[in-house]
Amino acid sequence: MISKKTKQLVREGLWTNNPIFAQVLGICSTLAVTNLVLNTAVMCAGLIFTLSLSAMTVSILRNVTPRNIRMMVETLIIAFYVIIIDLVLKAYWPEMSTNLGPYVGLIITNCIVMGRCEACSISNPPKIAFFDGLFNALGYSYILLIIATFREILGMGTFLGYAVPYFSTVWDKWIIMVMPPGAFFMLAIVVWVFRSIKLAGEDKSK
Amino acid sequence: MAQIKNKFWYPVFYMFVVTSLFSAVVIGFAQITADRVQANQQIAFEKAVLSVLPVDLSELKSDLAIHNYFTENVEQPSKETGGAYVIRKNGEVIAYALTMEGQGFWAPIKAVIGIEADQKTITGFYVYQQNETPGLGAEITQESFINQFDEIVIAEGPKSINFKRPSESLEPSEVHAVTGATQTSTRLEKIINDALIQWRVKMKNR
Repeated sequence: MISKKTKQLVREGLWTNNPIFAQVLGICSTLAVTNLVLNTAVMCAGLIFTLSLSAMTVSILRNVTPRNIRMMVETLIIAFYVIIIDLVLKAYWPEMSTNLGPYVGLIITNCIVMGRCEACSISNPPKIAFFDGLFNALGYSYILLIIATFREILGMGTFLGYAVPYFSTVWDKWIIMVMPPGAFFMLAIVVWVFRSIKLAGEDKSK
Repeated sequence: MAQIKNKFWYPVFYMFVVTSLFSAVVIGFAQITADRVQANQQIAFEKAVLSVLPVDLSELKSDLAIHNYFTENVEQPSKETGGAYVIRKNGEVIAYALTMEGQGFWAPIKAVIGIEADQKTITGFYVYQQNETPGLGAEITQESFINQFDEIVIAEGPKSINFKRPSESLEPSEVHAVTGATQTSTRLEKIINDALIQWRVKMKNR
């Protein structure tokens, strides 16, 4: 049975307190990796692994970690999980490791990870911290995948590298969509749309 | 516990213990995967060298077949070949494979270029290690970019191969740069030209 607290964590991570359109965290990676859906998907899988396990580890150590060095310890824990992902990719999926290049390492600097460790894990038990990390990462991931889908189709005429009918032939490809300015446009539109839906839902419930 | 946490030495001791623990796990994991990572890198290199030489790679179905073919047929670099790998038929050189390395936009780029026995005509180009921006600079690994090098002729003078803007028409020793990746293109152009100039000097002085 899913507890009330878990349901609340699901709702907050995916919707009411979504990292991208509510907390506006992790914007750097949102802008950087969303020009290809496959790269975005692997990056999201890496973040889900890192955030959920980092949050749980920070929570396990919270009672013995001195407050004045907690951020150093959090960074160490996050880096530990990211290096593990990097090594696994290099050993078992070298092609993806080559494709993603520096972005795996950059998960360390994703502010959602540190943000959730500071906001939740440092003051909650491991189970809550794990689910908070997991659903925040999932909330981040589905928004990134929406942005990446639009950018890849409009900018390259492909989805997951496969040609999309009409967009790969007739459509005059908007190269700007796979370049950095395209990420700003798409992010602004997605945040605007999702915030409008969220606000409309809140108005109705009043 | 609270009393120990307040001791002045505790943060240093705690950080030392936590760092040692996580580092030990990472080092252990790196040791376990080291052979596999090294083998992946070696195969990636051998594939790169063979892909720029006039070799039918479609007949080499597995990584082991590629490794065996490379070991049996590709001659190691020597002073006689100007530091390039060589493939021969009946003792005559068919083509050279010249490796090159230099700083890209984010990290070092490693590539290999194939040159016919006439020492002028390019037989292929391949980037086997890079960390450029996915979707932009990383396009230097895509067929659309590397296929441009097939059959082009090295020019005399300081620029053996010239990179032109994507909209400009090409001469026999020119290729199109990558759209939206000026830094990567400029740096790769320098890496290629430096390597070719040095190789030609070595071939003259051998």
